[in-house]
Amino acid sequence: MEYLRRQSESDTSSSESEFNGENAEDLSYSDLETVPDFLLLRSNELRALQLDHNEILCLPDTISSFKNLVTMDISANNMTILSPELVKLHNLKTFIARNNCFDTDSIPKDFGLMSSLEVLNLGGNNFKELPPQVTELEHLRCLYMGGNKIEEVNSSIKSLTNLEVLYLGGNCLTEIPAEVGCLHKLTALVLCDNQIQSLPPTLIHLQQLRSLSLHNNQISTLPTAIVSLNIVELSLRNNPLVDKFVQDLVYNPPTLLELAGRCIKIDGLPYSCEELPRHLVQYLDSAHHCVNIKCKGVYFSSRVEQVKFVDFCGKYRLPLLQYLCSPSCSTVISPSPSLSSDSEPEEEDNTKERMRRVLLG
Amino acid sequence: MEIESSNNIPMECGFHEVEEPYSDHTKVVRPKSLEELIQELHKIFDSDKVNVDYVKRLMTLYISNRKDWKKYAKFDPHRYTRNLVDAGNGKFNLMVLCWGEANGSSIHSHANAHCFMKVLDGSIREELYDWPSEDSTGTSMSPRQKNTYEKNRCAYISDEIGLHRVENPSHSDKAVTLHLYSPPFDECESFDQRTGHKNTVKVTFWSKFGKRTPYGVCATTKEERKNAENN
Repeated sequence: MEYLRRQSESDTSSSESEFNGENAEDLSYSDLETVPDFLLLRSNELRALQLDHNEILCLPDTISSFKNLVTMDISANNMTILSPELVKLHNLKTFIARNNCFDTDSIPKDFGLMSSLEVLNLGGNNFKELPPQVTELEHLRCLYMGGNKIEEVNSSIKSLTNLEVLYLGGNCLTEIPAEVGCLHKLTALVLCDNQIQSLPPTLIHLQQLRSLSLHNNQISTLPTAIVSLNIVELSLRNNPLVDKFVQDLVYNPPTLLELAGRCIKIDGLPYSCEELPRHLVQYLDSAHHCVNIKCKGVYFSSRVEQVKFVDFCGKYRLPLLQYLCSPSCSTVISPSPSLSSDSEPEEEDNTKERMRRVLLG
Repeated sequence: MEIESSNNIPMECGFHEVEEPYSDHTKVVRPKSLEELIQELHKIFDSDKVNVDYVKRLMTLYISNRKDWKKYAKFDPHRYTRNLVDAGNGKFNLMVLCWGEANGSSIHSHANAHCFMKVLDGSIREELYDWPSEDSTGTSMSPRQKNTYEKNRCAYISDEIGLHRVENPSHSDKAVTLHLYSPPFDECESFDQRTGHKNTVKVTFWSKFGKRTPYGVCATTKEERKNAENN
């Protein structure tokens, strides 16, 4: 596989190069309680400013005079509130504010207008949710909210369509919204150290995803969608993953509509809008094929949930949630509980292709 | 090349001890920079006998200075990176590992080599494991000990001591570590915690001497790329 250029990698080096350049000032670890006056003399020329690891409890209003700032780091200052003057920094691309005491109330109400922002790091603060202003930052490519107290991620996250890295590790999440599947440019998704019980099947839309960090959660099964992703790094340790082939006994008997629909699809009877009302044509078109390749069955809404183990690269067995057309279909699939992967060699080959390496638990 | 601990050096009373250089860890002089540390390491590993305690003390005494190692500190958003600093004339490899937030390794062994790990930035958590035995295959592995190393601390491990998993425990801080492996190796074993099963994996470099070296471009077979621990 060719080496894929990672956008975020070149970003790290570009913000690094800003910090290394001439128009940079490093005042980290300097026992500062405020931004020193001498810095104002350079306010027009500075492109990078490091103020991390000081005791600057609040940025002065004069911060807005640093008009050409591209990168700023104010981490580890015990700050509780962000100056609204910050919003006037129209060139700020990277803003690092880790390990302070911020929560949603600390964020200026116009923060969402900082359309230049591409990298935002608010890790290690006191956020209980994603501040709404953050979801207005349309050009955001990397969002780090690790080590907060986030209990829920709002569906408005879907606005961040340029997001490539989403870090939500070390929070209090029990689930993530289906709208995370709208973030089509996502390459890294970090959800470790939460209380997540399941993942939305919409993850199937994250076709650019390269790494998925899920360790230390409450996950017992994974959506089948995960198999069709091109993930290279996956961490799953410390989840109560299902160890044996489990059959879910919940089965809603099919309706007459469903049974009729199945007959039409299985026998290949032709149909069209000329013969049938439109809504029925759409219904027939929505048939799902039973995942058991030996079964030619289809289902519409009545199906059996089942957990099946799929081997990845011969190293790890992941429990996937799958749908079968009926309970009797499952007996065709598995000769014995422990050899679930042998019966579907095609699927296994595909998964070996796709899941190249899994970080073992 | 023989590596020993000072615990093994016999003391002979009444005779004049032949003091081998670099064998008394109480006489280690603090290296003033990473460059100086590397020069000392070259001298130490030139000889046939290397003292583990001496090397550990030397690495501990070097006070981490970001300016020294900044050029090797290359982070990947997906996983930790291994960045070669010095190839030790074939006797050792010195490298900087960069751990993004919550990045960790698998449980792994060390190819019969001696491994020193010094924290340059952030902090690192280590879980020590025993080698899975014949009878325990199929049962899950649990750590016998957990250690946290703060900045400038130095840890040591070898296959004799056991296996470990190393990770950055922080969700808001990155971590950087300096590793010395002797002799150098490019393969080790990686263990599945749930079953104790092991796989041989290749370990590769993200960069060498400050320059990015993507493995994918150099790998010749699909199998090699699949099994690479680092890309």
